Amino acid sequence: MSTLETPSPPPPPSATATVRPLAKKRARPSEQLFKWLVVGLTAITMAMLIWLITSVLIRGAGSISWSFLTDKPSSNPAKAGFNSALRGSVVLMMVTIFFAWPIGVAAALYLEKFAAQSATLTERRLRERLTTGRVSGLGAGWVHARLWWLRIRPRVVHLIDVNISNLAAVPSIIYGLLGLAIFVGVMGISKSLLAGGLTLAVLILPIIIIAAREALRAVPISIEQGAMALGATRWQAVRSQVFPAALPGILTGTILAMSRAIGETAPLIVVGGVVFSTAVPSLNPLEAGNEALLAMPLQIYFWTDQPQASFQAIAAAGIIVLLATLLVMNLVAIILRNRYSKRW
Amino acid sequence: MTTNVDPEKTAKDSPIEIHLSAGAAGGDAGRASADREGAGAPQEPHLGPPIFRLQDMGVWYGDHHAVKGVSMDIPRNAITALIGPSGCGKSTALRCLNRMNDLIPGARVEGRVLFGDEDLLSGDVDPVDLRGRIGMVFQKPNPFPKSIKDNLEFGMKVNGIKPTAERVEQALVDAALWDEVKDRLKAEAFSLSGGQQQRLCIARAIAVEPEVILMDEPCSALDPIATLAIEDLMKKLAERYTLVVVTHNMQQAARISDQVAFMTVEGTAEGDRTGVLAEVGTARQIFSAPKDPRTEAYITGRVG
Repeated sequence: MSTLETPSPPPPPSATATVRPLAKKRARPSEQLFKWLVVGLTAITMAMLIWLITSVLIRGAGSISWSFLTDKPSSNPAKAGFNSALRGSVVLMMVTIFFAWPIGVAAALYLEKFAAQSATLTERRLRERLTTGRVSGLGAGWVHARLWWLRIRPRVVHLIDVNISNLAAVPSIIYGLLGLAIFVGVMGISKSLLAGGLTLAVLILPIIIIAAREALRAVPISIEQGAMALGATRWQAVRSQVFPAALPGILTGTILAMSRAIGETAPLIVVGGVVFSTAVPSLNPLEAGNEALLAMPLQIYFWTDQPQASFQAIAAAGIIVLLATLLVMNLVAIILRNRYSKRW
Repeated sequence: MTTNVDPEKTAKDSPIEIHLSAGAAGGDAGRASADREGAGAPQEPHLGPPIFRLQDMGVWYGDHHAVKGVSMDIPRNAITALIGPSGCGKSTALRCLNRMNDLIPGARVEGRVLFGDEDLLSGDVDPVDLRGRIGMVFQKPNPFPKSIKDNLEFGMKVNGIKPTAERVEQALVDAALWDEVKDRLKAEAFSLSGGQQQRLCIARAIAVEPEVILMDEPCSALDPIATLAIEDLMKKLAERYTLVVVTHNMQQAARISDQVAFMTVEGTAEGDRTGVLAEVGTARQIFSAPKDPRTEAYITGRVG
């Protein structure tokens, strides 16, 4: 084309002559605008976080010391330490994870690997049993009950599915009320670390279930089928192949659920959290039923509620310790994920 | 078999008839029937007695009739290839033979699949035990995310076979992988190449001492060199095992198989698309003198 418009130079060799000239770089204003918009919005988020952390660091760094971590609470801000709260939180987490993990993982395994499975065969077997007349009376009733369960099972599982997601979104104070009613009221557990830990366990149960299910789902179905094609039962396939492959993901989710639990304040207050105590809780989780319910967020809440400015400083120091704990937990989760997660 | 009255199907049923009689009457009769077949096919290679007899086998996925009316014999110690266009239900048909379709919610298998004299689809057959006897290799290599050794030992353990070092070695030797991995049995299976992973999966299947190995497009994820290695291996394995191989590669089917079953898709009156068996015969017959026009169209490349 261009060769026709500029006749003066001799026409270039035919092969190149037919190629249109390449377009030059040009500005795309809307592209730029959008880029700066998202950069700006990201910056706002980061700025909030940085502002929060620096303000806490400025106020609290001076109060951080070894004795702050090892001293027990005191009404004198200069002597007050974070030790009881720290110990309380550690025991709380032990109790929480002891109850939440096995229940949550078991529920995830059932929902993901067993409840959604094909029931065609079981159904056929049960029907055959009825038609051949090998069962009668009570036995037949039992077979009918199982058939009925198989028929409604998909709907029940779907209902559970939806409600687990709903549970994860329930405000934590509701869990506090639940814990107060069930563990303290009905079960008669004293307002202790045990009651608090159980309440937090219920609180993070849906989070653990959702995370564990996602981790199980991330293991390709071909692994399970490969195992079953070798003559493994479903349980053998899940136990020996799918579950180990999903474990890093499950643990990552568990740690993230724990970091949610460790910062919870409201449910602990409702269950009977102690805001001031000079007791130092034992680190033995078996003693949790007898120990006053102390925890880092409760202690921080109590300190920020005090009128004296010096208490504000140690509250900031407490926040630093809590944030550092959270940071370490999340770091472990990230390392687990990067180190052990499989690329299928 | 013989109850089939659909006139369109009579043509494609004939090779099955011939083969059935060959299987039933034993070796000499088999050769005789091949001679009787005439039709320009010279010297049909002899196929052994059947290990599987599929009788009007079909598969439903919910309301979808995925495969219907598959009737054929699968000879022992031979390679039977299932070929056909995508979506014709070859893999689905294959998965009936070790009851893997049981694992798919909503899937239902009809008809009979005799393994020896027993219908393996029968409700009182234990599918777990069956799968220990009829192994399977999948399209995409699916080693367990563990060591090479663990991959082999898992199947032995669940089948009650003591996982000794000798058995591990034997399975790897049989799968033509031993020389490449003998120094690193503890290495992650994922560190192997795709072709090695697939041979590991074959070794894993052999290690449980099955009678039959089903292969679902075992080479489709591999390069030509790895494919050749697996094909050589298959031919060797056919001396000891019965192999049923799904492939969409006709050259591969021609290279390796003794018997070929061609499946295709039929539209039904209800607008469903159902996989059917168009023709089954020896590899030589299918590729040199197909009887069904659909087979001919497919293998000459006019369709599919």
